[in-house]
Amino acid sequence: MLGIKNWINLNSSSVFFKGTRIATDAYGKDLLVSLYRKYINGYPKFFKMDPLSRLGFVACELLFNSEKVETLQTDNLNEDSCLILFNKSASLANDKIYNETIDNENYFPSPSVFVYTLPNIVTGEIAIKNKIYGETSFYVIDELDATTIFNVVSSSMSDTNNNRCICGWLECSNEDNFNAILLMIDKTSDTLFNIENLRNILNYK
Amino acid sequence: MEDLILKLKQEIIEVLNLEDVKPEDIENDIPLFGEGLGLDSIDALELIVLMEKNYGIKLKDPAVGKEIFKSINVMAEYIKNNRTK
Repeated sequence: MLGIKNWINLNSSSVFFKGTRIATDAYGKDLLVSLYRKYINGYPKFFKMDPLSRLGFVACELLFNSEKVETLQTDNLNEDSCLILFNKSASLANDKIYNETIDNENYFPSPSVFVYTLPNIVTGEIAIKNKIYGETSFYVIDELDATTIFNVVSSSMSDTNNNRCICGWLECSNEDNFNAILLMIDKTSDTLFNIENLRNILNYK
Repeated sequence: MEDLILKLKQEIIEVLNLEDVKPEDIENDIPLFGEGLGLDSIDALELIVLMEKNYGIKLKDPAVGKEIFKSINVMAEYIKNNRTK
């Protein structure tokens, strides 16, 4: 049976970890930088990332940080983990930024912005940082839907090589408007990973 | 020349999002790639855009780019001699 070990809800103005609010002092893109500086640091690549990757990176690091504290791990061990994310706007936030660099009167396409004009780049950023060697997938769907997420994640976790999955919703319409609801799913935790529990977490306000 | 070097460092920090780097942290003679600032291939492309956008210099030959981006000093010297704006 699959269980929900941890979950995080990070939006433009607040952060909840398993339903408990974490104190924050900033909003939007500044919130992500603030969280990076307070809880992560030491990874300058963060500042080169697009808004969606920054969001996914910070949310995942906070999720993994809690794991390290609970298990006294000094490093992440994610070789048997997979990463499956969903949203509805794909890489729209960064696409808009790139579009500004190809304005006809000021045509200087930015290579470093262009490389992020795909939503699945965020899965690569997270997998590289945390040595996730299992499946990495990014699905673009019409709306936040617990049943779809449950079915996809359950199917992937039926693979015996996957013992843990980071999954959830990672939506970013622009650099100041975003919502990440990420869960850590494994095969030992007591809170059952089912549609009802997943829906409750995805709809948590 | 000193003004150009300082301006160039500020532009590189901004365009490459080197958030925690200050102009005084970049030595004029250290390599920009590899051991030095640790820049990568995408950064190199961004520097090529910077040269055209800010100084009107079009670099078409990658081999020339490799030479120019050896250090801040080399880059500034090339800009001084070839800029069109």
